[in-house]
Parts: sequence; structure tokens; C-alpha cells
Amino acid sequence: MLKGIPVSDGIGIGTVRIIKNKEVKFDDRVIPENEIESELGRFHSAVDVFCERTKKMAEEMEQSVNPKEAEIIKGHIQMISDPFMIGQIEDQIKNGTCAEKAAENTLNQFIEMFSAVDDELTQQRATDVSDIKKRLLRILLGIEEIDLGSLPAGTIIVTKDLTPSMTTEIKKENINGIVTEKGGITSHSAILSRALEIPAVLSVPEITKILKDGDSVIIDGKEGEVLSDPTDADRQKYEKARVDFLKEKEYLNTFIGKDTMTEDGYHKEVFCNIGTPKDAVTAVQKDGEGIGLFRTEFLFMDRKTAPTEEDQFNAYKKVAETLGGRTVIIRTLDIGGDKDIPYMEQSKEDNPFLGYRAVRYCLGDKELYKTQLRAILRASAFGSIWVMVPMVTNVYEMRQVRGIVERIKTKLDKEGIPYDRNIKVGAMIETPAASLISDILAKECDFFSIGTNDLIQYTMCADRGNADVAYLYKPYYPAVLRSLKTIIENGKKEGISVGMCGEGARDPMLIPLLLAFGLDDFSVTPTSVLSTRSCISKWTLEEAREVANKAMSLPTYMEVEEYLKGIVRK
Amino acid sequence: MVSKQLTVTNSQGFHMRPATVFVNAVSKYKSNITIKFNGNDVNAKSLMNLIAACIKFGSNIEVVAEGEDEEAALAEAVQLIEAGLGEE
Repeated sequence: MLKGIPVSDGIGIGTVRIIKNKEVKFDDRVIPENEIESELGRFHSAVDVFCERTKKMAEEMEQSVNPKEAEIIKGHIQMISDPFMIGQIEDQIKNGTCAEKAAENTLNQFIEMFSAVDDELTQQRATDVSDIKKRLLRILLGIEEIDLGSLPAGTIIVTKDLTPSMTTEIKKENINGIVTEKGGITSHSAILSRALEIPAVLSVPEITKILKDGDSVIIDGKEGEVLSDPTDADRQKYEKARVDFLKEKEYLNTFIGKDTMTEDGYHKEVFCNIGTPKDAVTAVQKDGEGIGLFRTEFLFMDRKTAPTEEDQFNAYKKVAETLGGRTVIIRTLDIGGDKDIPYMEQSKEDNPFLGYRAVRYCLGDKELYKTQLRAILRASAFGSIWVMVPMVTNVYEMRQVRGIVERIKTKLDKEGIPYDRNIKVGAMIETPAASLISDILAKECDFFSIGTNDLIQYTMCADRGNADVAYLYKPYYPAVLRSLKTIIENGKKEGISVGMCGEGARDPMLIPLLLAFGLDDFSVTPTSVLSTRSCISKWTLEEAREVANKAMSLPTYMEVEEYLKGIVRK
Repeated sequence: MVSKQLTVTNSQGFHMRPATVFVNAVSKYKSNITIKFNGNDVNAKSLMNLIAACIKFGSNIEVVAEGEDEEAALAEAVQLIEAGLGEE
């Protein structure tokens, strides 16, 4: 069994076809003075052919994959048309270098430049330039490109790296899987294999040498496994897994565009957790009904000075607009001594998770906090934004934040700047203190959102990163369940909306309990929207309450876990 | 020569698509257009050099235009960057 990075879910069973890009070799010759004009002509017509073919590929891709992926290919035309770069190549040809060598020199130089930058997206562009180089050289040398379109049904493509131009030719009905030696979760190979819905495992070392054409192979795009020379038993096992996967996927797709509802018709909502404005687009694509947690830390990290109000306003506004009027819950800065942010004067703490962080820090550095809250308020004119305050432990913190918000509103009124007058301000409930006072906190909050990850950690006093106490970090401990019940019921008693934005919200073992306690919205990673919606639809409130009563009566987490495993519905 | 300092506010910075929008817009001017960033002078009409410069969200840059239509070139370049380089 070989391991790689799983990037596109599903099981692929088939026959190996190693795809090798033929080495493009050419003689580096010197062009005599009188042939320079024609050599320049040869170069220009190769660029023209390149652009023409690429345009055709992009058009085909728009049909077979989707317009977004076609953009990558169209970008190749833009890149090769760069007049500055063309000029560099022409200059070399004018000095007697042949077209192949001149193009290779210049393109290699850009590959090096892009690879040297400490930024993953820019590094990925190096793959594009490398693809452009190979294709341009093949055109100059008259070498045919590999025809992936003619591969027979049942093929597993095994190659060093999948280039964007290769993927355009793939007929998805014939290709059962993709395995490469290079690439990570955000590489072209990954994005394209997901778009084509072909199972894929990347970064398997030496795989093009280990496997041979015609080998039988099974790949698991969820676990990142490649199984060569499978036994009959393996085949049977994986064939079943493959069919189950497809069935489940097909089934979950029936929930696209549907309302989230319990079996007996109570309306709920499935939101998404996001970290950047770009994720908001994914959330909408995956059918999220809103954003239940927009982490704002990305705006503050990796920079020398604090982001301006304008920087923040633009990011928040963009998410609000992407969601087109649906709820966007923005969590204000949740940061402490565990993160090294140079412009924030944080001293080293022995115990940053119990230290000067989140709302505590923000109320200590009011200028920073005011800037963020003002940016959020201004963005609230462009959608439905709620403000969520992290790590609340007492009512006074909420009063202080609400006070700042009210004063900003007065200022915005004076300046004539629009904002949502009824913007909701609520607490993230993630400390035992907040849970214990959730009855009085609910009177001063417009909503609650439960952060299970920290709530478990703080309730059980167990660092989730510490393997020795990992057994304590589980939501099934009676202490955690009681806390969840208290929070949700106290919130509902005051008539405010109660959501959950931790991992717990998508756990099919917890969902019936959360329904029974009265949770309104479930905020999950975008890829879990449909499975969460499906799970909710399987329960009536009465059935959920029975399960909850039983679970709450069990004294140990083992019994609770064992019991809940048995009642899972998907 | 005219110039202006500003901060990049679109989330992707000068990555593929925003950079393409920018290059296509400024290429129609005769002036030389340069972006000063991190101590480098980047040819603003060259997509490849713009990408290699890795100008990100929050980067502070200076746009410089020099030539017969420098005022108009600078105005459009600045307007584009401030408007988020065509990002939705």
C-alpha cells in the first residue's frame, strides 16, 4: 500500500497507464545573420499556433468541465502574450540564439522567479509556465502532444504531474483515477480532478517508476491510498466501497437547493464556516444557507501593521455581497499570545489559552477593536451581517462591546454613512463561564453561537493538541452534553437564535441531541452542508428527544458514545 | 513623471486574474508604467513580472507613470486598484 495526499474523493479501480511527457530535445544552434528574420517568424507563428490551440482547448473545457477551470487555460494565452517577455525572447533570437533555446531560457527564468516566491499561489503559476514552455517547444519542434482523449475505459492515469493542458483532453467517463508524484491539495491537478469528479491521489513518491503500464491498481481518493496488484478480496471490498460512495453522493445531491427541515417539518438552517472572502464563494457553491462563522484572523496575520478600516470593510462587504442577503456571522478578532503578530504588543504568556486573548485583548486595545467594529458596521449596509464576540465569560464584556457598537452607530449617523440599524450582536459560547450564566447572558445577546471545539477543551480541561489527554477531548462526556443543553435551552427561553459553529454541528451522533435541545442553525465546513442537511431530515423532534433523554441518562462517555453510534442516521 | 502611493485592497492581490485585468487596461497607454514594490521596479505592462512580484492584499505600492499620456494612465491604474481589480 502506497500513501499520498488525497485530493479528490472516491474509489478508482482500473488499469495503469503511465503518461510520460517525451523529453523535448533540440540542438542549440547559432542562427546566421541572414536567417534571423525567418527564425523570428518561426517563433511568432509558434506563439500564434499556441494561442489558437489553447483557445480551442479552453472552449472545449468550458463545455466539459466548467468555465472557472477554463480560465486557467485562458491565462496561458495572456501569459505568453506578455510583450515584455516576447521582447526578451526576440532579443536573444536577434543575437543569433535559436527560437527553442531563446524561449527556454526566458521561460525557465520565470519558472525560477515564480518558484522562489514564498507564496503558494505564485509557486503554482510556475507549473503553468512550465506547461507553456513544454507545449511551445513541442510546437516549435513539430512533436505531437500526447492524446489523453484516446485512452480506453477503465484507465488510471499515473504521471509525474498533471498539467492543465493535459486535463483538458481527459474524457471523464474513461478515466477511473489519477495518481501523480507531485502536487498538493490546492494544485491544478487537485482542482481539476475534483471538478471532473475523478478520484485522485497526489504526491506519491516514485509512483511512475513503481507502477507499469497494464498493472491493476486501486486508488482511494479519500484516504490517499494506492493499492497495486490487488487480491480478489481487495477488489470486492473496494468495489463495494466505490458503489457505496457513488450512491451516497447521488443521494446527497438530491438535497441541493432544498430547505433544511426535520422529518416532521421544523425548519433549520445549515451555515458554513469560512476563513477568507474566497471561501464564501465555495460556501455558496456547496449550498450553504449562510455563513455561521467568518473568522477574521486572516486579515490580521502575515503583515507588519494592523489592517486599515478600509481593508477590513472591503473584505466584509465582499462576503456580505457574495451571500446576497443571507446571514453572515462575523466573529471579531480571536487572537492571543499563541500567535506572533508583531504590531500587537502581546507579551509571552505561560498559558495563552487562559490569557489575554480574543475579546479580552480587543477590549484592552480599543482603537484596534473600534476599527474592526466600524468596518463591520459599514459593511452591514450591504447584506445581513451579525457580530459575534468570542470567548465571552461575563455579561459586562457584552455590555462593553455593545456600548462601543452604539457609539460607532452615532458617529456613522453624524457622518451620514449607511449601516444596518438592527445589526445583531451576540456571543460565541465557548467557555464554561458563559455556559453557566447563559440564562442571564441571553438577556443581553441577540444570538448565541456555540463553539464546540473550545467549549470541550475548556470544560474538560484537556488541550486538544495533547495526545496524552486526547481521550478527554470528546463531545460525548456528560459534562459537555449538559453544558450544550443548558446553553441551547437558556437561549431559546429568551427567544434568541442559537447556532453551533464547531465540529459538533456536523456530527451525526450529536445532531439528534442538538435538535432535541432546540438548536436553530448548524454551521459546518462547506463540504459537509449536504450530509448535515440530510441527517437533520431523518429525525422528528419526538424521536430526537427520546434519544436525547436516553443519552443524557448515561453516566460515562463510553456508554454515551456506544449508544449514539447505534442510532446514527444519515 | 507622476506617481501615487496606495494599498492593494482586493483579496487576491496581483494574482493571475486581477493582474490580467490590470495589464489589459494599462497596456493601451503609451507611457511607461511601473509599480514600485519591496524595493523593486516592476513593469506594469508585463503580466509575468507582475505575478513574479507577488503583490498581495495589503501590500503598499507606488504606481509611477512617465510619458505623454502619464496623467490619464496613472488615473486609470489607480482607479482600477482602488476598485479591487475587477474582483467580484
